[in-house]
Amino acid sequence: MKPAPFEYLAATSAAEAAEALAAANGDGKIIAGGQSLMPMINFRLVKPTILIDINRIAGLDRIEKHGERLRIGATVRHRMTATDALVHRHIPILHDAMHHVAHLTVRNRGTFCGSVCHADPAAEMPMMTLLLDGTIAALSIRGERQIAASEFFVGSLMTSLEPDEFVTWIDIDTLPPETGWGFEEFSRRHGDFALACVATTMRIVDGVACDVRFGMMGVGETPLRLPDIETLVEGQAISERLLQDVSEALKGLLQPNTDIHASADYRRHLAGVLARRALRDAWKRATFRKDGPDA
Amino acid sequence: MSLHDHSVELRPKLVGKRVKRTEDPRLLAGVGQYVDDMAPAGMMHVALLRSDQPHARILNIDVGEAFSVPGVIAIYDATDLENEVRPAIPTSRMPDYYATPIWPLARHKVRYVGEPVVAVVAESRYAAEDALEHITIDYEPLPFAIRQVDAVKDDAPLLHEEAGTNTIIRREFKRGDVDAAFESAAVTVKGRFRMTRKTAVAMENRSYLAEWDARKQALTLYTSSNIPGVIRDVLSGCLDLPGTRLRVVAPDVGGSFGGKGSLYGEEILVCALARKLKRPVKFVSDRLEDLSATSQAFDELIEAELAVTEDGMLIGLRADVIGDVGAYSIYPWTAALETVQVVSFLPGPYRMEHYRGRIRGVLTPKPPTGPYRGVGRPSSTFAMERLIEMAARKLGMDPVAFRRKNLVNADEFPYRTASGIIWDKSAFQECLAGACAHVNYPNLLLERDEARRDGRWVGIGLASYAELTGIGSRISVAPGMPINTGTETAKIEIDATGAITAAFGIASHGQGLETTLAQVIVDELGCKLEDIEVKHGDSALVPMSSGTYASRSAVLGGGAATLAARVVKGKVLRAAAYLMEQSIDDLDMHDGIVTSRNSNCTMTLKEIASAVYSQMGRIPRDQREDLAASETYDPYLGTACSSTHLAMVEVDPETYGVKVLRYVVAEDCGKIINPMIVDGQVQGAVAQGIGAALLEEIVHDDQGQTVAASLADYLVPVATNVPDIGIVHIEADLPNNVGGFRGMGEGGTIGAPATIANAVSDALSHLSVSVETLPVTPERIFRMLQARRDPAAAVTD
Ligand SMILES: Cc1cc2nc3c(=O)[nH]c(=O)nc-3n(C[C@H](O)[C@H](O)[C@H](O)COP(=O)(O)OP(=O)(O)OC[C@H]3O[C@@H](n4cnc5c(N)ncnc54)[C@H](O)[C@@H]3O)c2cc1C
Repeated sequence: MKPAPFEYLAATSAAEAAEALAAANGDGKIIAGGQSLMPMINFRLVKPTILIDINRIAGLDRIEKHGERLRIGATVRHRMTATDALVHRHIPILHDAMHHVAHLTVRNRGTFCGSVCHADPAAEMPMMTLLLDGTIAALSIRGERQIAASEFFVGSLMTSLEPDEFVTWIDIDTLPPETGWGFEEFSRRHGDFALACVATTMRIVDGVACDVRFGMMGVGETPLRLPDIETLVEGQAISERLLQDVSEALKGLLQPNTDIHASADYRRHLAGVLARRALRDAWKRATFRKDGPDA
Repeated sequence: MSLHDHSVELRPKLVGKRVKRTEDPRLLAGVGQYVDDMAPAGMMHVALLRSDQPHARILNIDVGEAFSVPGVIAIYDATDLENEVRPAIPTSRMPDYYATPIWPLARHKVRYVGEPVVAVVAESRYAAEDALEHITIDYEPLPFAIRQVDAVKDDAPLLHEEAGTNTIIRREFKRGDVDAAFESAAVTVKGRFRMTRKTAVAMENRSYLAEWDARKQALTLYTSSNIPGVIRDVLSGCLDLPGTRLRVVAPDVGGSFGGKGSLYGEEILVCALARKLKRPVKFVSDRLEDLSATSQAFDELIEAELAVTEDGMLIGLRADVIGDVGAYSIYPWTAALETVQVVSFLPGPYRMEHYRGRIRGVLTPKPPTGPYRGVGRPSSTFAMERLIEMAARKLGMDPVAFRRKNLVNADEFPYRTASGIIWDKSAFQECLAGACAHVNYPNLLLERDEARRDGRWVGIGLASYAELTGIGSRISVAPGMPINTGTETAKIEIDATGAITAAFGIASHGQGLETTLAQVIVDELGCKLEDIEVKHGDSALVPMSSGTYASRSAVLGGGAATLAARVVKGKVLRAAAYLMEQSIDDLDMHDGIVTSRNSNCTMTLKEIASAVYSQMGRIPRDQREDLAASETYDPYLGTACSSTHLAMVEVDPETYGVKVLRYVVAEDCGKIINPMIVDGQVQGAVAQGIGAALLEEIVHDDQGQTVAASLADYLVPVATNVPDIGIVHIEADLPNNVGGFRGMGEGGTIGAPATIANAVSDALSHLSVSVETLPVTPERIFRMLQARRDPAAAVTD
């Protein structure tokens, strides 16, 4: 379990990293926290000729509010996202989600953007980026390209990044203060990748749900946004009947995998369970918060 | 009795005290020394190309450009080693058994995915692994049966043609007329229990380093083994070296749980290569290799049936077991170790007249099974304790009352079980009562019932069991095995500085034996704890050593320590009597100081040692004796360690996740040497058993590939899976061995799988499903419930 030989470059600027990545001709790999990449290179599942370390590039280690969006730099650790005041205040569902990501030691190193680039279909940050209508900033020597999250995840561990591009930051939506949320994840042990997970947000206007967002992970080749479910819930009050309809609808929408931890059938069942719980929570929170965030 | 005698009686003893482990400062400060920490000059590294085929003939091996990798020194396959080593043969006197030879590298055929085929020796492990990528092995795939139910069939493809069958072990235990018992029974219950394959997952992977001493033509193997003495003895034959030129050392070892308790081909390999290349050779297995080639555990299919009278007396038990032993029989235990224990321990701690238990051990293309904490008994206890609870339910009896009625009572010991095991006096009933008292069982039932009224799926489960520990020479750890596991030697020496060395054949690898054996010696000899250095894990220490396994070290090592300390103490007091001009009967030693009840004069051990060894003339020549003794202890039989576990669990009615709410263990391990260490062993073993019950499973797919090849897929319990564990120590009648100790390192792992299975079954009882396969995962619960709703959709495990 030792990696194949590789070169190593500790880039000190984004431009240097972009140049090195271009020069590697598709055989270079960016290393951020290394929490997913190191196992892969140790198993020799990937054999990059060069590792380009972005950790020393100044200015990428911040979370900033730009208007109604939060911008998360490429070297922001999970630990920082989990403890950041802006995240806690403006995207409490992301704060909640962080509790499910790995363990403290992994969160101390792993990065938000690294997780999104790794694109594990059972990882929280890719799903949250999708849920929060993220925009991914991809830099190469050809310049910067901004990719919508909906265009970014193309398969298990596959993204629409070009081989010479790397991510410098990701923007995500903040949520209006009266937004309620539900985050339900089930994994075999705490901190493991999810067998299934639902993240949903909504506001209540005139007694019905609006601005409904509904995302899932662990039940397909990529993280999912499910517009059919969003439409089903939008404009409705949450009732047992509606939750039943959501469970039923999910069965037709999902094509989960079977692996040693769970069958496709069980995952489909779990999706319904978690969806009901998450929607109930979101409704409850939205009810509670519609009189003001500090109520 | 005189006043003096009283004061001696009241002197503080160390046995029974929570003495902090003396090995911990070095281990916790990171200055322990494991095999991987050693790097003698000129050391080379080995990487192995392992089979990716479950069963195939090796047609050709092409090393390609492997030698072009800088740092590569040599590449070998089995043919290169043919004249360097002899295979190890795990022989046994058992009838109908075939001993599969153990070679360092696969010869002609491969028989499981992960079997070593080619060894690359290089200046670094990196270079060695780079070289592996250039090597291609041409295989002719052969047919195979990956599941035991198929491998056992007469027309199944053979893994070892020489054996003529895949069934290399058969054994039957029989007493009374079991079929008649079933005919007369008021109630019978049966199940098809499956304890899936596990692996031990020690924190330190298996590691070996061999050094060749050209001057002495001698070899030293440093190994992460818990049986260095056994390894020395077998390697002596494989390598044709006498014990004087072959030493096997187990330095600090980071856990074994049984996985490091057998001979491995890699141990033979590094020795052969070090001798051939005349340089030190190291092999450290990585986690993938550990998960795919360290001995695995269990994997039995147990069809068992229990017969009970109307008023709840057990009368008969019959069982048919197929054990999946993997591709080879391991050394020295053989493939009979795990399998035969399942049927010999199945009747458990209960009174039972009629029994028939059959086992067939079959070869399959998987890693060999071997020792694993609890050996056989986690499986047998799982099956038996499920049957007990199923029978209680069918009779409408409380499972505790049902057990109370059938557990062997104090006045019935020694009790001979239907399979011939003899239980000496042990607290069977008291443990059951102790566990129930600890949780206030009647209250706990109310708590459960109240939770159920709220729609929660809460269940309570118990397991009572007994195991045979500290076994002497009369009984073999594995049937018909050629090695002696029934004796242990302690060599205690006081040197000229007054320091004490106590050397043993055991090999502590996390049990804290450096501390507990020192405690025993302190009490017996009357010295200070800090003056004792306990040595172990080195074949050169005593003439024959075997190691630490089978819950033997406290009983046998403690016994030998007691005997040797007594002899040494006699010598110390004889010298002191002369030096102090006192009668020996008036002398005693405590805290390293000899005092006399008739005078105020005292002497320290240091002064006595100096007088004996260094100050010529102080003791006449004919009265001078070295302050040393070597004694061997053989408890002859074994002693029963018994326990009852009780758990309350909750199953999520929607996700089917299982949470352990309460857990208690009441156990009788005889005289407790160190309660803190006993607690630690119980807690660790229960955690391991919870892993076996809820999480851990080695899965081979139909193509024979291992699917759980990393710790992301082979799930060991983490802190959040393990509740606080209540521990009740019951020191009832002490066993009839030298120290009054019983072995207790394995018990937690024996009781926990059954307990959890019973508790989960209880939680699901209103749905009439019964847990018969472990681990009971959310997926399995989902499928059980689905199958109940729609029997046509049932998938068998
Ligand atoms: C034991 C363990 C448990 C875990 N559990 C979870 C979990 O429950 N949930 C979860 O979401 N994750 C989990 N992870 C993964 C963890 O969150 C990783 O840190 C994360 O997936 C990747 O982040 P990283 O910064 O470590 O990326 P790296 O490992 O450095 O890189 C991962 C991949 O992304 C690429 N990459 C990284 N940064 C960039 C960039 N800026 N631009 C372009 N490409 C880039 C790399 O080239 C590589 O291919 C776990 C990891 C471990 C070791």
